[in-house]
Amino acid sequence: MIWLEGVSCLRADGPALDDVTLGVSSGELVVVQGLTGSGKSSLLAVAAGVRAPDSGAVWIAERDIAGLQASSLPYVRRNIGYLPPEPLLIPDETVLENIMLALAVRGEPIDSAEADARETLAMVADSAWEGRMARSLSTGQQRLVALARALVGPPPLIVVDEPASGMGGDDREGIARALVWARDRGCAVLCATSDPSFAQILVDAGGRRVHLEGGRLAGAPAIGLVPTPGGLVGESQPENAESAQAIDSSDRRSSGEESS
Amino acid sequence: MTLAWIVRRARRQSPSQRHALWAAAGSFLLLGLVGGATVLGLRVTRGWMGIMGQSVHVIAFLRDEMEPDQASHLADLLRRGPGVARVRLVEPAEALARLRDAARPSSAGSWLNDLDPGYFPRSIEVALAASPDLPQRAAELSRRLRGVAGVTEVDAMTDGVARLAAWIRFGQRLGWAVVLAAGILALSFLVGTVVRGRDARRRQAQVLVILGETPANIRLPANIALAVAGLTGALAALLVLHLAWPVLLRGVESALGIIPTPAGLFLGFWESAVALLVAPVLGWALGYLSTPVSGWVDA
Repeated sequence: MIWLEGVSCLRADGPALDDVTLGVSSGELVVVQGLTGSGKSSLLAVAAGVRAPDSGAVWIAERDIAGLQASSLPYVRRNIGYLPPEPLLIPDETVLENIMLALAVRGEPIDSAEADARETLAMVADSAWEGRMARSLSTGQQRLVALARALVGPPPLIVVDEPASGMGGDDREGIARALVWARDRGCAVLCATSDPSFAQILVDAGGRRVHLEGGRLAGAPAIGLVPTPGGLVGESQPENAESAQAIDSSDRRSSGEESS
Repeated sequence: MTLAWIVRRARRQSPSQRHALWAAAGSFLLLGLVGGATVLGLRVTRGWMGIMGQSVHVIAFLRDEMEPDQASHLADLLRRGPGVARVRLVEPAEALARLRDAARPSSAGSWLNDLDPGYFPRSIEVALAASPDLPQRAAELSRRLRGVAGVTEVDAMTDGVARLAAWIRFGQRLGWAVVLAAGILALSFLVGTVVRGRDARRRQAQVLVILGETPANIRLPANIALAVAGLTGALAALLVLHLAWPVLLRGVESALGIIPTPAGLFLGFWESAVALLVAPVLGWALGYLSTPVSGWVDA
């Protein structure tokens, strides 16, 4: 689904990303774990198509978006559910309307968008929030709403940056369940976290973990991935048997989608 | 985003931005008033200048000894002069009748009833063709008429006309200054409103960029809202001008003692149509500027 190849990004104090190569296939959940400042947010912003890399290629559905004209980017972005590190919501809109916006952009009819948004809000947060103005929510609640907006649909690629930041135990479990739900629906899910315990929850649920240190991927989990016309084939070994099963099943789903 | 969504977005945004939208409509109203009043004002002053151009500029009062044939001959001679528009011989009876007409509204006119036309001299009124050097030409004609035998007195009316013309020209310049100041004020108000709205729309635009909305669709609700504000302001300006301008104009003419001019009472159909077209287009363009959208989002 997405293949980042030799991606580098610079910031004022040095490289934010240094020659990062990483792939996530459809039906796969990849957890990028790293400390604050390790380049996770830069990596996810590049993967979400909201930030241009200084070098390297970003292949989404067999297209290098780094080389696309600015006018073509929106058509890529509407297939990506992105939760930025700061939950960007429209403060003067209701929670439900904020979530519906993702579907509005994709041209879904208003009635079905409303139903989908309600369903996703109920899965991720609390249905009772739907009529509340976004500005009346706490930061944690805003993050959950922004996560619901990223998941609604769901789009083929989901990129979530620190979804569980500042969340309690129940919320973290709920977020993990929502991400697994999206993966099980065939989405490619890329999640960044600095929280090892949350990363472990996702790994236990079949996610594949990669470590980011100083803008470079540590270890070799992503190196063996190569793009193919039907998606990505992973050669790396999952951390546990469940993960292996999950990836196998996702590959089977990918193959099934291909043949259909 | 489909049209249904865009209309929904525009409608949902309107309540939170109603102050900004009313302010924008008010700015358009002010701009419309300034523009409309400028067009009408120019037309009115041209009308006033035209009336002044038709006025009598020189009056030559004739001696009683001058025979009617001689007076007619002098009038014929004057008609042939260069730059002379009209010449009229006014008999004493007509002069008295005019005086009675002028005095009729007041009680002072009663003593005129007993007056004999013989008290009034015969006179020749000369109107010169309008031109920038009219005062000089009138003064020159007056000088020559004073040297004519049979002419007892010459009244060069040009002094008053020139003074009035100078006042009108001064009024025009003052009007332009007021128009300029009001135009700048209205535009500043409009731009200020748009800039304030820009900050409010920035976050919304960021959200929509991330969600994959096209820049054109992100701007569309603001385009629509400000175009509607422009149309509303233009309609209100046309209505105010239609109702208030004739009253104001007649008041000014009455206060200045100017003969009412039919010119510049109302804006024409095409002028109104242009205003109703330009204001929404300008609003649409301002809507474009009021929503900051970038291709890539700075991380």
